[in-house]
Amino acid sequence: MTLQTTETVLAEEPSFAKRMFRMLLADKFALCAAIFLLVILVLAVIGPSWLGDLATKQNLRGRNAAPFDWGRGWVWWMGADALGRPLLARIVVATQNTLMVAAGAVALSAVIGTLLGLVAGFSSPRVNQVIMRLADVIMSFPSLLIAVIVLYILGSSILNLMLVLAITRIPVYLRTTRAEVLEIRERMFVQAARVMGASSRRILFRHILPVVVPTLTTLATLDFAYVMLAESALSFLGIGIQPPEITWGLMISQGRQYLTNAWWLSLWPGLAIILTTMSLNLLSNWLRIALDPVQRWRLEMKGSKNG
Amino acid sequence: MIPPPDSPEGAMLRFIRKRAVASLISLVGLIVMVFFLSRLTGDPAALFLPVEASAEMKQQFRELHGLNDPLLVQFGRYVGNVVTGDFGESLRKARPALDVVLEAFTWTLWLAIVTMTLVTGAAIVVGSLAAFRAGGFFDRLSSVISLVGASVPDFWIAIVAIVVFSVNLAWLPTSGTGSLLHWILPIAVLFIRPFGIIVQVVRGSMIGALSSAYVKTARAKGVKSGPIIFVHALRNAMLPVITVIGDQAASLLNGAVIVETIFGFPGVGKLMIDSILQRDFNVVLAAILVTALAIFLMNLAIDLAYALLDPRIRH
Amino acid sequence: MKRMLVLGALMLGTALSPAFAGSGPIKIVLPEEADLLEPCMATRSNIGRVIMQNISETLTELDVRGDKGVMPRLAEKWEQNADGSWRFHLRQGVKFSDGTTFDAKDVKHSFDRIMSDKNACESRRYFGGMTVTPAVVDDYTIDFKADPVQPILPLLLSLVTIVPEETPLEFVREPIGTGPYKLTDWTPGQQIVLTGRDDYWGAKPEVTEATYLFRADPSVRAAMVQAGEADLSPSISQLDATNPATDFSYLDSETVYLRIDHNIEPLNDVRVRRALNIAIDRQAFLGTLVPDSALLATAIVPPPTLGWNPDVKVFPYDPDGARKLLEEAKADGVKVDTPITIIARSANFPNVTEIMEAIQAQLQEVGFQVELKFVEVAEHEQYYSKPFKEGRGPQIVAAMHDNSKGDPSFSMFFKYATEGTQSGFSDPKVDDLIKRASAAVGEERAKLWSELIAYVHDEVVADVLLFHMVGFSRVAERLDFKPSMATNGTLQLSEIKIK
Repeated sequence: MTLQTTETVLAEEPSFAKRMFRMLLADKFALCAAIFLLVILVLAVIGPSWLGDLATKQNLRGRNAAPFDWGRGWVWWMGADALGRPLLARIVVATQNTLMVAAGAVALSAVIGTLLGLVAGFSSPRVNQVIMRLADVIMSFPSLLIAVIVLYILGSSILNLMLVLAITRIPVYLRTTRAEVLEIRERMFVQAARVMGASSRRILFRHILPVVVPTLTTLATLDFAYVMLAESALSFLGIGIQPPEITWGLMISQGRQYLTNAWWLSLWPGLAIILTTMSLNLLSNWLRIALDPVQRWRLEMKGSKNG
Repeated sequence: MIPPPDSPEGAMLRFIRKRAVASLISLVGLIVMVFFLSRLTGDPAALFLPVEASAEMKQQFRELHGLNDPLLVQFGRYVGNVVTGDFGESLRKARPALDVVLEAFTWTLWLAIVTMTLVTGAAIVVGSLAAFRAGGFFDRLSSVISLVGASVPDFWIAIVAIVVFSVNLAWLPTSGTGSLLHWILPIAVLFIRPFGIIVQVVRGSMIGALSSAYVKTARAKGVKSGPIIFVHALRNAMLPVITVIGDQAASLLNGAVIVETIFGFPGVGKLMIDSILQRDFNVVLAAILVTALAIFLMNLAIDLAYALLDPRIRH
Repeated sequence: MKRMLVLGALMLGTALSPAFAGSGPIKIVLPEEADLLEPCMATRSNIGRVIMQNISETLTELDVRGDKGVMPRLAEKWEQNADGSWRFHLRQGVKFSDGTTFDAKDVKHSFDRIMSDKNACESRRYFGGMTVTPAVVDDYTIDFKADPVQPILPLLLSLVTIVPEETPLEFVREPIGTGPYKLTDWTPGQQIVLTGRDDYWGAKPEVTEATYLFRADPSVRAAMVQAGEADLSPSISQLDATNPATDFSYLDSETVYLRIDHNIEPLNDVRVRRALNIAIDRQAFLGTLVPDSALLATAIVPPPTLGWNPDVKVFPYDPDGARKLLEEAKADGVKVDTPITIIARSANFPNVTEIMEAIQAQLQEVGFQVELKFVEVAEHEQYYSKPFKEGRGPQIVAAMHDNSKGDPSFSMFFKYATEGTQSGFSDPKVDDLIKRASAAVGEERAKLWSELIAYVHDEVVADVLLFHMVGFSRVAERLDFKPSMATNGTLQLSEIKIK
């Protein structure tokens, strides 16, 4: 009997990037979200230099011009603001400041909050107590007061604006991370790693953190919206963005008085915030599934409904 | 009878006692920080009196309220008074600061409790259903709705709701606090953002819980999808969920400024903002203390809930 | 015959009905709560709106709707004595709402209380720079001696609310006054209720009870009147004032201006200040960012004020002229390129952000470097009032000034005198004019104020005066009421008629 030697050819797995791209195509919503975010990012980079002049040219006679006026240029499609400046141009130019402040504040608070949460959840009860009581204090300190104090002591600047916004959001990440850590550290695989002699740091970052990340990204993407809106309340105080600099949040609050008769002033920037938040969230939900070896079959099989 | 120290009840009491001490320390830290830092930020005399008041009048005002004494002296006086239950007088309203704050906090507390109860119930149901059929139509729909809710500016909804429901349809009153009907719009507006956020967190957690090993095992063993799976998965998904519920509740306890301003509910949010802008230090301090106490208690309840939900967790 | 009787009865019926038709309770919605109801704080507008002439009355009253000047209220007549002091003859038969009789001792106590250092009464600031001593002559006569002699003392006394002599020096929460109403309910944060008194000395007002509600959002206030939840809102936004049957605009005695700090280069050069003024197209704001019924300002006080000078012309819009002035100044070595900061208060008045941005753009057109800074009340006050910070750059403060008292003396000292708390410059001629005008009477007084207004506007170019603002109110159709310039600080319920 002769042995049939067949050359078993292993299927070639496509590269990581290709795989991700295919999974992205599988989820139409996430694809749209990714495209939208890419556009926003591009606008954030080129916005001020591209439409900066158009966005600042005032025309008192043309104030509050209604949208959907096809007669004028495409810039006027969204209508004009209270000083006659085209809203579309304003929103595009505002993208840079908005994203900078929001991304900065969210990143800062997420990183610091997560680190503190990891430490609180995994260390001794005493360290846990100290960190948690610190979080309680921050939660009880009104953000307005923090803003006023920072304003008076450190002065007004965009960095200080990010600082104030970040401080107020730290407890959210801190407490969520700690809650997850408290639960995960009792799980089998953590016990196993400990028995095998893995250091605390390794366990935290290699084993526990990846489990916590999905919830954190959900929170972070939702936080974006909150920060974008909260920032306008602080600029009112003189801390951070001052006119004629503009952000979406500021456009919304300036349009507040016109809500019943020139609703477009508040609508478009509000829509921008909503769409950005939705895109970030849809993309993060997709990412959570795509990066999880247990879950990603849903996308690879072109998505199914039941789990 | 005091439970024996090594029983579960005894452990809980020990935990609560240690917590109370730690919270007291942080409350004191909070008072010290706010007391000294806020006094660095401006002169209440200049805000109470009109711009045309003379420097002498402002000096007189400060004398009257003891603001000219050195900070440490003022602090000592304040602490001495607090121990007897006197939180000082509002510079602006000439009334005990604690009275002012407690009146306002009652409104805020009610708004927070009702809203968070409704939110918790609705969000858990919607989020779990969405997770059950992840990727399906209900999931997509509820995601869109909750994401819009989490990112829409609240004054939009408030003013549009007033225009539609009060002015045009005349179903509900525009604002104010008279009857039960007056609470509908404010709570509806307050409901939206926490609902959006918690739905997303529940959904995310439940997806993870539903695909975990023990659920798969249960299914494989023939337990039909339904209440049992649901309850077990939910229980394990709840940890991050109740944390976020706590955070949202804390922000409601700090006051919902937009809703209070637009609907005329005299809650602690608007009081805090006005007092900070007017440098009414005693009211600011009293308000922070009252809300801090509420938040500390709530966090204690949440930590106890962790232990209840997941017996593996020890504090 | 029968027809005559029926006609007669009908006519009698219609003749009688006005007496019964117009009377009842009303609801008023205000933008901010009165956190105090202390009579000596009634000169602050959010408190005066509720108290002034409703609960507490004053000896005299300024006629804001006509030109009768200072009218009698609790004082029937007054004259100036030989030594310059004023003698007031008080009305008799007046009772406070707690039943006690009104007499000269109450007046003396009210005044002493305001000037006392045991409380923080706001009305005291109107008597700065002078010593006023009340002296009771008899039960219904009282002398006020002022040093220096005050020709406008009767006007000043329209700011002093009268309280019973038993009132303690500390602030009270239950104001007792001689006015047509008494306070019957105060739920802080929610409502204040005033109910008519039966033992009021004057004519019984048609409004029997007034409930004051508070809503910070202007669209909600307008919506409440529209929905019938309130009858009157003295202040709504221009955008909501779309119904001519219920919405009225009125000059509200607020003047928006840019206070220039003359101490720092380049603002110390009059050419630069003049350039600032002619670079701004004030006319373009009317009907766009500012209601078109607003007036362009040539003085810090509005037109009905004594001494307002009709000969002072608004600066023309001349951007080329402004550029020329700047070049001239630059040629002389003035550093016109230094960035100038305009400091404005957020939410100070409607469209403040847009107005300041537009002004910034107009100034930059002619070559100024302008930065904008929006700050909250406390910080704004620090820039606006002395002492000014050392090492500051050139600054312009955008502010709003209110004078509904009919006489410029309430404004001129603070805004233009060397010692004035908000004054950005020092000019001996200005100080002299202020001093002389404050001491003058009648024609002479008006002439001196006019001279000062012209000098400050045309020669010194002290600031950039912008607009006299208008406010908008919504009045339900069942009420008959037109707001006046004083409505912001005095909302007399007796002026409101019910149809």
